[in-house]
Amino acid sequence: MARAGLSKAVLGGEGRAVADLRPTDVLPPLAEAKLAAPRQRAGMVDRPRIAKALEAGGDAALTLVAAPAGYGKTTAVRAWCASSETALAWVTLDLGDNDPVRLWTYVATAVDRIREGLGRRALQRLRLSGISIETAIDELMNGIAGYDRDLTVVLDDLHTITDAGCDASMRYAIERLPPTARLILITRVDPPLELARLRARAALAEVRADDLAFTSAETRELLVDRAGLPLNGDEVEVLHRRTEGWPAALYLAALWLRAVGDPHRAVHEFGGDHRFVAEYLSQEVLASLDADERSFLLHAAVLQRFTAEVCDGVLGRSDSAAVLADLEDSNLLLVRLERREWFRVHSLFAQFAATQLAASGPGSVIDIHRRAAAWFRSRGLAVEAVEHSAAAGDHDVVADVLTQYHLALIRNGGSATLLRWVRTLPDDCLVEHPELAVAAATAATVIGRLTLERRRLLHLASRAQVDRPERFGVYAEAAMAMVRAAAVDSGVGQAVSDGRRAVELAETGPDDVLVAARASLAQALYFAGELDAAWDAASRAVRHPDAVRCAPGYAFAQATLALVAADRGQMTSARAHAETASAVVGKLTSSRSWLGANAAVAIGAVLEGEGDLAGAERAFAHAERFFRDDVATVSHTRSLIRLAEVRCQRGRLDEADAALREARDAIVELVDGGTVSRSAALVATAIARTRRRAGRAALVETPSEAELAVLRLLVTDLSARQIGAQLFVSPNTVRSHTRAIYRKLGVRSREDAVARASALGLVR
Amino acid sequence: MRSRTYRLEAEGELSDQIGRLFDGMSVRRTHGNTELVGVVRDQAELHGLLKRFADLGLTLLSVDTIDGEARH
Repeated sequence: MARAGLSKAVLGGEGRAVADLRPTDVLPPLAEAKLAAPRQRAGMVDRPRIAKALEAGGDAALTLVAAPAGYGKTTAVRAWCASSETALAWVTLDLGDNDPVRLWTYVATAVDRIREGLGRRALQRLRLSGISIETAIDELMNGIAGYDRDLTVVLDDLHTITDAGCDASMRYAIERLPPTARLILITRVDPPLELARLRARAALAEVRADDLAFTSAETRELLVDRAGLPLNGDEVEVLHRRTEGWPAALYLAALWLRAVGDPHRAVHEFGGDHRFVAEYLSQEVLASLDADERSFLLHAAVLQRFTAEVCDGVLGRSDSAAVLADLEDSNLLLVRLERREWFRVHSLFAQFAATQLAASGPGSVIDIHRRAAAWFRSRGLAVEAVEHSAAAGDHDVVADVLTQYHLALIRNGGSATLLRWVRTLPDDCLVEHPELAVAAATAATVIGRLTLERRRLLHLASRAQVDRPERFGVYAEAAMAMVRAAAVDSGVGQAVSDGRRAVELAETGPDDVLVAARASLAQALYFAGELDAAWDAASRAVRHPDAVRCAPGYAFAQATLALVAADRGQMTSARAHAETASAVVGKLTSSRSWLGANAAVAIGAVLEGEGDLAGAERAFAHAERFFRDDVATVSHTRSLIRLAEVRCQRGRLDEADAALREARDAIVELVDGGTVSRSAALVATAIARTRRRAGRAALVETPSEAELAVLRLLVTDLSARQIGAQLFVSPNTVRSHTRAIYRKLGVRSREDAVARASALGLVR
Repeated sequence: MRSRTYRLEAEGELSDQIGRLFDGMSVRRTHGNTELVGVVRDQAELHGLLKRFADLGLTLLSVDTIDGEARH
């Protein structure tokens, strides 16, 4: 996702010299192209039969369009959407969307485009760390319900989504679609969405390969009516039978037969052949092109995505625009992308074309990748440059380009992308590029739960400091100190030293690291219990003129400011800082990251101070989950302690004990945990005191069965109304039972009642 | 996780060229179908091969493990 965004913005300045391009330009994280319904391709056969099937599925909440590549799924759905009167929210998914927050942010944004405001509350929810995704989906469904006309949400390329959290969120959403809305899922693989159950309830309509395959009649229409081939009924049937109606194959066949001298003979030979259809036809089509076009296509297939300019540059031509225009007619070979002027070769065809080229000499493919890498790099198109260098196996070039653009990637939500590429590089390469090793360590920190990997990367950077001092400059040293401080790997005291060193170095020159350095120092000071100094460092971080652009460091500092303010009881200020941290994280990356966990702790502290204990517990639980790692860390331990403390306040003493126990186990492993021991002791005392207080008053009278039923639900977040709904009594009855419970347990608040009940063993 | 010898069968005869996309596996064409046989290190590798099948639009007819030596 950072992929499309990064190149898009740089592309916008087509013609700018490399020197003008600042590697740290801020880019919009959401890629517009994913929200645009794919353009309708000219020359495609109308499929009224499919349109009818899609129309008929309108009563079902979910329509599944599932078939392998080349069956015209997207084309069919797009055509139906255009012809029907439905309001449309279209999202084309890809690998980068394997995160529920990201996924639903796209969906909510697309819905919001239908009418402004429909998705707003959902989007607001999605930006807050720690809020459950279900709440956001509820808001989205409410928004959609408020739109009184038919509304269709289409998710294309669903097979790229493999994350279990995304699957779960989709199952949740499907159950809650308002009656006027429908969801169309386009995929190559059946998704794990309890389809059998939906089928049984008639809540699922399906359009599958069998439906999408061309019938004999449609085959005739394509080959004879549209392509004008002089074929008789039997010959049409041969093609239909051999391809089994596979649309991609039939379009290839049409191209091929239009070009050959004797189509009848060609069909006859095809009919008697056993070769795999797609390969046979791809090769025949290639053979039918003139030598120049063929060479062009084969080389273009290697390029993956290209414009006429790219082709000219890489293939050493000047006429690519004309060739592309010619080839575009055969729109199965070439597909025009949403990004203006860009094309790709149809994926099915491309695979066979690639093997063809490889057969003529493995070096030829690598050669193209190399030239493409150089061309893209000279134009500042970092992402494409890296992809091609990687494909060519040129690790050094990959490392060079990544080093050049690492700040842009990290500051624009591309940490995962950066790390993914760095993982393909051998250790020696990273030692030669220590800045990159440190950048990758930063990326690993921002993402979270990668402590061991971060340590490995820092170790490589340290090696560089010794073995290749000439490549290890002030910037690398400052960045390394910053990461060490942020990660607190060697204890809080050392983190403070590292933070100070990072700031000192950054102030002398490499300004780019300064905001992050100050933010890391601030956290370390906070962990050490030095509130004033922490506040000071974090304030300086956010006051830096470039602070907002240094998004991760900025969010980090804002979270620390929120925590200090909350500790001082300054709730208004704390809330403002926490919301800022959350908003930045929301735009930058997933809330399910280390950065997101930091924002969640800040939110939790604010909610706790404002009295929303349930909300605080949820936020701290989220933070605890995403700080959890293979080794004990100070951040994780602190989140456990916060969790224990708020649970104690809510009277959930057994759960509080569990969290505290885990925290104590972790403290033993920590080298130097700062104030954690002290905090843990304070919480332990609070829990003990609450238990005593709860157990001190004698039980006045045993609650009745009905009252016990209410008591069991008092330990949850449910309101009186909701409890009444569960027990089939009125809210007033619930309230009077509650009063009786308080009297009988000798308490005066819900929290105390819960504590007392658990201390007495009345509830499990 | 131990490696096993797998035999995958696809509908349609694949050329040796395409067979190279499944590197490490031997390609044998029988009447109308293709057999790919080879050692597969683990399940992750197996699923990678299956995905390759899907991407190429191949119809998978069977997946078997073979004991002992891989057939020529």
